[in-house]
Amino acid sequence: MEKFKNSAFVKKVGFNRIVLAGVLILMYVIFSVAIKGFLGSSHLMGTLNYVYFLGFLSLGVTFVIATGGIDFSIGPVMFCCALISGYCFGTYHVPMAVAVILCILVGLLFGMFNGYLVAYWDVPPFIVSMASMNIAKGAASIFTKTQSISWPRAEEAGGWFRSIVKVGDFPMGLILFLVGAAICAVILNNTRIGRYILCLGSNKEAVRLSGVNVRKWLMLAYVICGILVGIAALFFVATYTTVQPNYGDQYNNEAIAGCVMGGTSMAGGLASIGGTVIGVFIIALLQEGILALGLAKDVQLIITGVIVIVAVYADVLARRRRK
Amino acid sequence: MGEEILRMEEIDKSFPGVHALDHVHFNLNRGEVHALMGENGAGKSTLMKVLTGIYSKDSGKIIYEGKEAEFHNTREAQEAGIVIVHQELNMVGDLTVAQNIFIGREFMSGIKINDRKMVEESKKLFDRLHIEINPTEKMSNLTVGKQQMCEIAKAISHECKVIIFDEPSAALTEKEIDDLFTIIRDLREQNMGIIYISHRMDEIKVITDRVTVMRDGTYVGTLITKDCTKDDIVKMMVGRVIYEQPKEKSLVPDDAPVVLKVDHLNAGKMVQDVSFELHKGEILGFSGLMGAGRTETARAVFGADPKQSGDIYINGKKVEINSPEDAVHHGIGYLSEDRKRYGVVVQKSITENSTLACLDDYISGIFINKAKEKEAAETYIKELDTKTPSADQLVVNLSGGNQQKIVIAKWLVKNCDILIFDEPTRGIDVGAKNEIYKLMNRLASEGKSIIMISSEMQEILRMSDRIVIMCEGKKTGELKIEEATQEKIMDKATRDIK
Repeated sequence: MEKFKNSAFVKKVGFNRIVLAGVLILMYVIFSVAIKGFLGSSHLMGTLNYVYFLGFLSLGVTFVIATGGIDFSIGPVMFCCALISGYCFGTYHVPMAVAVILCILVGLLFGMFNGYLVAYWDVPPFIVSMASMNIAKGAASIFTKTQSISWPRAEEAGGWFRSIVKVGDFPMGLILFLVGAAICAVILNNTRIGRYILCLGSNKEAVRLSGVNVRKWLMLAYVICGILVGIAALFFVATYTTVQPNYGDQYNNEAIAGCVMGGTSMAGGLASIGGTVIGVFIIALLQEGILALGLAKDVQLIITGVIVIVAVYADVLARRRRK
Repeated sequence: MGEEILRMEEIDKSFPGVHALDHVHFNLNRGEVHALMGENGAGKSTLMKVLTGIYSKDSGKIIYEGKEAEFHNTREAQEAGIVIVHQELNMVGDLTVAQNIFIGREFMSGIKINDRKMVEESKKLFDRLHIEINPTEKMSNLTVGKQQMCEIAKAISHECKVIIFDEPSAALTEKEIDDLFTIIRDLREQNMGIIYISHRMDEIKVITDRVTVMRDGTYVGTLITKDCTKDDIVKMMVGRVIYEQPKEKSLVPDDAPVVLKVDHLNAGKMVQDVSFELHKGEILGFSGLMGAGRTETARAVFGADPKQSGDIYINGKKVEINSPEDAVHHGIGYLSEDRKRYGVVVQKSITENSTLACLDDYISGIFINKAKEKEAAETYIKELDTKTPSADQLVVNLSGGNQQKIVIAKWLVKNCDILIFDEPTRGIDVGAKNEIYKLMNRLASEGKSIIMISSEMQEILRMSDRIVIMCEGKKTGELKIEEATQEKIMDKATRDIK
């Protein structure tokens, strides 16, 4: 076991990631045995559809958690993005391209708002994101006059945006998600912003005393998160068509669960995009499996809750051991 | 003076790498005020922590009221009648005076807290101390001096027989100190044993009966206060053999240009009107006791803390430094006294730490050039002789001395001309210490200018070309190395500013 842990391959990929991938495969096998027809394409598509939007949410929150912060507004903000831009498309008849940009822009604005308060006003991230969660719900609700919004179907005018998820039978969404994750990994590991985010997440004061403008980089982490939440909103409506005001809380927990399961430390400073990707697949598979088993959504809520606690506790244990 | 109440014999205590207490003696009588003196790191606090059960001793005996005693925590010590009044006050600002005094042992009537009884009891305590404080006042509305008196009231409410004052006067005004002394005399009348830790020489003369001096974790001696002079005490405090030869004369030519000039700097209470100059190739020592304001001065110059007023000139040009970013831009590097908190990012690699201050130089396009970065880190691993298997090693896995080298490497990679070393050798072993000294000398000879803050007299005398001495936020003197002696420095470092 020790030898396995110390081999070059395992060190590069990360022991945690390998275990997690094993869990994912095991879950798939169990569901396939337990549920008749789970191997069929409909359940696979169901899982993938869930992966797309949740994946982008989870990638976004990975940047924030890497700074040692947290964002509980991502779910409702995602809905707010989809509601406002969808309303503009449906009621003001803006072109779809504008609606798409608008959707990402709303996410960006929330990211800037959260980031500014956290970085420049030193308001705790927990409070900021709780507040902006409510602001996002309220704003979307007022803007759409508490109606739910349906985005156009593939064959309708403006329906071209759905090709981000599916082109014919080809799962375009999977490609885009993996490309997005790869870009995030490069940002986190190979650019200045990623370096500063991880370092300040680990020891903000030491980074400040090295002459780095920590406030700027801290805010940028939230901005990146905001953009990714806007993108997540597009994938959500491209798969599920309709969004309602006052929704989205549950996706916070699922996105955060995917992220911390993958080895991103709640204490900040350590993050793994690869881990987040596998974590998201596990959450998506779990929700599809539970649905297929005919269990209530509530069961999934409980399991997600337990996953977050176990994952965070594992991180706490790992850090204790390092000390 | 009454009979003996407390005796500590042959107390020995080691921490990894440090022999903190080496067979130390101490005794205290009833009705006595006994001063405990020594430089920073002499072992005063450790000895008191052993007494009150915060640390356990390795060997030795504590005899309290004629019986051998051992306390495992402060609560046990408190119950036996030994209490400590800390330098930092431990009060809850939003509670009343009475609530603070009886916190954790509130009077109850049924399930309700009996506030009236607590107020009455507080009044009795204050009467006993002959002071007037309203027990229903909110703690945060009191002055620091009054708050301290509440601490004392809290202490005597434990029916204590021994009170330890740990630098009680540090935050007090002169009037408040007088009041404090009146109380201490009262307590002495009530036959309590009082241990008084302070750096202020004239206070020691005024209030104490005996003085015990410690040095480097050893017991030096005990004097009757009225029979000795300030000089006697200073000599005992510093009279150690100097193992390393002090620098004989400055290595800086008289006409070396001024690279940094700090003019009438004010920043909070700890930096008052501080001015000094740093020459090219010079090592400027900053000496003083704990809390003299040296670190605060360095942080204000570096822009880490805000300053109220004062100008900074670099190479004769006035510069605005409002953040570490500005300071680094002007070529100043700061090595903090607290490496782990302010110096390194321990969970990151040596490479990542080395380029933290100048990552911009290692960017190609939008990507970090990791090969170039690693090359720089490896250059300085070799140059500073850092012990590590590779540049990818996480800093957390390095020893203190090697971590310090990583911080130095960070500023050398950035090519800073002015380096502020704040306690550069604190907590690192002798071998690594010598390496750091050699390195500083080399840097100075290469034309870098260094400010070295140190609480170790030896280090100051061995390394500095010139010495600035601070006391309580003010600069109290400046000595050329040729004229500096331990006694002169200690005299200026303990000078009281009225």
